[in-house]
Amino acid sequence: MKRSFLFPLFVILGCVLMVAPVPTSAMDADTLVVIQEAEPVGLDLMRSSIQTTMSPCYNLHDTLFHPQEDATVKPALAEKWEKVDDLTWKIHLRKDATFHNGETVNAQAVKFSFDRVFDEDIQSPHKGKLSAFTELTVIDDHTITIKTEAPYAPGLYMLGYYLPIVPPKYIAEKGDSEYNTHPVGSGPYKLKEWVRGEAVIMERFDDYYGPKPAYKTIIFKGIPEEASRIASLVTGEAHVISGVPVHQREKIKDSGKAYLTPQMGVMPYLGINTYEAPFDDVRVRRAVNHAINRELIGKALFNGEAIICAGPISPRTFGANPDLEPYPFDPAKAKALLKEAGHPDGIEARLAYPTYMSQIQEQAEVIAANLGEAGIKVTLEPYERAVMWERYKGKQHQMFIYWWDDAPEPDRYMYSLFHSESRDYYYKNPKVDELLDKGRTIMDREERAKVYHEIDRILYEDCPWAFMYVVPEVFGVANGVDYKGRRDGFLNMRYAKPKG
Amino acid sequence: MLPYLLKRLLHTVYVIIGISVISFFFIHLSGDPVMLMLPGDASHQEIEDLRERLGFNDPIPVQYVRFAWNAVRGDFGESLYYHVPVMELIVERLPASIELAVAAMVLALVVAVPIGIVSAIKRGSLLDMGAMLGALFGLSMPHFWLGIMLMLLFSVQLGWLPTSGRGTWLHLIMPATALGMSLMAMFARLTRSVMLEVLSLDYIRTARAKGLKERMVIGKHALKNALIPLVTVAGMQFGFLIGGTVIIETVFAWPGLGRLVVQAIFNRDYPLVQAIVLVMAVIFVGMNLLVDLLYIYLDPQISYLEDK
Repeated sequence: MKRSFLFPLFVILGCVLMVAPVPTSAMDADTLVVIQEAEPVGLDLMRSSIQTTMSPCYNLHDTLFHPQEDATVKPALAEKWEKVDDLTWKIHLRKDATFHNGETVNAQAVKFSFDRVFDEDIQSPHKGKLSAFTELTVIDDHTITIKTEAPYAPGLYMLGYYLPIVPPKYIAEKGDSEYNTHPVGSGPYKLKEWVRGEAVIMERFDDYYGPKPAYKTIIFKGIPEEASRIASLVTGEAHVISGVPVHQREKIKDSGKAYLTPQMGVMPYLGINTYEAPFDDVRVRRAVNHAINRELIGKALFNGEAIICAGPISPRTFGANPDLEPYPFDPAKAKALLKEAGHPDGIEARLAYPTYMSQIQEQAEVIAANLGEAGIKVTLEPYERAVMWERYKGKQHQMFIYWWDDAPEPDRYMYSLFHSESRDYYYKNPKVDELLDKGRTIMDREERAKVYHEIDRILYEDCPWAFMYVVPEVFGVANGVDYKGRRDGFLNMRYAKPKG
Repeated sequence: MLPYLLKRLLHTVYVIIGISVISFFFIHLSGDPVMLMLPGDASHQEIEDLRERLGFNDPIPVQYVRFAWNAVRGDFGESLYYHVPVMELIVERLPASIELAVAAMVLALVVAVPIGIVSAIKRGSLLDMGAMLGALFGLSMPHFWLGIMLMLLFSVQLGWLPTSGRGTWLHLIMPATALGMSLMAMFARLTRSVMLEVLSLDYIRTARAKGLKERMVIGKHALKNALIPLVTVAGMQFGFLIGGTVIIETVFAWPGLGRLVVQAIFNRDYPLVQAIVLVMAVIFVGMNLLVDLLYIYLDPQISYLEDK
């Protein structure tokens, strides 16, 4: 009886194992395995703004420019360019670039790609980032002009990230849905296979116009659990991993099998609802800034790796004001400021935070304790991602912790976070609006920096946030691989090569 | 038999409709996916346009009728994130979930049933106590902890097994063990207690009095009756395993339905959540039906014939 009961189960198991896929690829010296926190949701760069989706996409797709860490650009599909006037750039494309299917990368393809970003059916999340551009005109097969409504200093940088050039004929033939799963780009790698849920396998594109990448095959995988990602790096199953929290970094260093390389930083901030009492009084907001012991949090939670911020612009971003000093930790001064604002017995406040953020619980608890010592009794409100976001947009938070990455270009986050036309949920300052508009239009770098210094200073004094710190993120890289992480945080494997 | 089957299938339809209504209304109460789909600086106009395009501006009952009408024609819509038909995603992930669930179930039964039988026969012995202590340990160990410990031992330290992913049978060992451990413990305790009860019944005494070998008494007479509750529990658990393996799937990056549905819930990917809930409901109800039909085979006294 026992045998007859178990036998069918073994048969089922056998059948299931027989239909299981074979191993994705034999590991060899020419193969690089990259593991991120999640698999991509698609492979059409135009259709997603999720970091783990964009990373593999940047290996497949090329844009007109290569954005640099100092917010300048270098040639990519664009060979050279000139300013016709303050509103127009003339861009000359290189003539030797082709898509992976053999289609030529020409001016018509660039025009098609530009129009596609604004196509309603695509629902591109990058539409807003390119909204400063009004018109793209084809001059000849390899020349275009692109216009903006007003002078737009970060224009080429934004095109370098958010306008992937896609093949018009292939998309016309296959349709947008199929393009999302079987894309054809002009990047250094072409798609070999995507086994959804398991791996994206790419192969070197031999006709690539630029420097040939060192590895023949790149495999992108997603592993959500951080301990599993680190285990796969240490065992040699993976060569590059992302999502290494601070408290796990020692494990990688101690293993002797991999090293850490810096990438973009996460910049948490404590937003304050400046529209409602008691935080409509700048003295109360300054009290919050004086109450938080950033140095201690940096040491205790982030191994001293956190970079303390004075104002809202990250010290690593172009335009941060070098003259500002972080608000010193001074609970007595915080109490005095509260008293001056008419709250001698302190105040009560709510502090919301998104539960999915790394090490957020510890940060929120320390901040709440700090604020409590200064007379601000805090109720912590942990929220799941979507609820946090809805309440944020619904202006329901009083104080809240969110974050941005410390991108090299200040307009990338400052305009989005502080311009009242973008988000006026908790703060509005016409002067800041005016300067943010101006900052976009100044082409001279030094003059432009001055505008951002001024924005940084005004916000530093006005305290719409409690300014916190930047936590530098890292990638874990196997010892045999030479790869330096980049400030944009994308895993672009064209820059990886074997060591030695 | 046939009328019974038809009746049960009709019940299944009610259940599926009920679940689809409840899950549809609940997920629509949970928040607005459009907010999450667009970047933070999207204008009100952009938000409204997208909501209109996706049909979220219509009253919820209207949206439900539209969903149900499309669903009966086999169209469950397109994922808001993956931009592909949701059924395509589910069909891709289902084999991985079934593979893991079957492996965990087989492992649990193969180990637990003999342990349970031996424990019942040798009641009160050191072996019995050791097995039941082990079962208690297995029940109280959290899945994810066991999973990570197995990984640290067999992948990082010994280098015998791959850390994660799906592919060969080697990939299956650790997730199936981590997942099957608590089932194993549960089945061992259940087998033991049911066997103890059965072994004290009259017909077992009769079998022994007839002079049957002990192996026959246990293996043929006692075990067959003891299996009925075990089959019930295993059947129900299998339904849970298909969709409830989220943690193990996350730890071992197993590309199953559990991980997909959790991601979909976090993203408010309505069509995907809705379709997965329905598929899981069908599997669960199907397993229940299968278990009921298995009873007939296991115990001829049970019959679903109308005229009996």
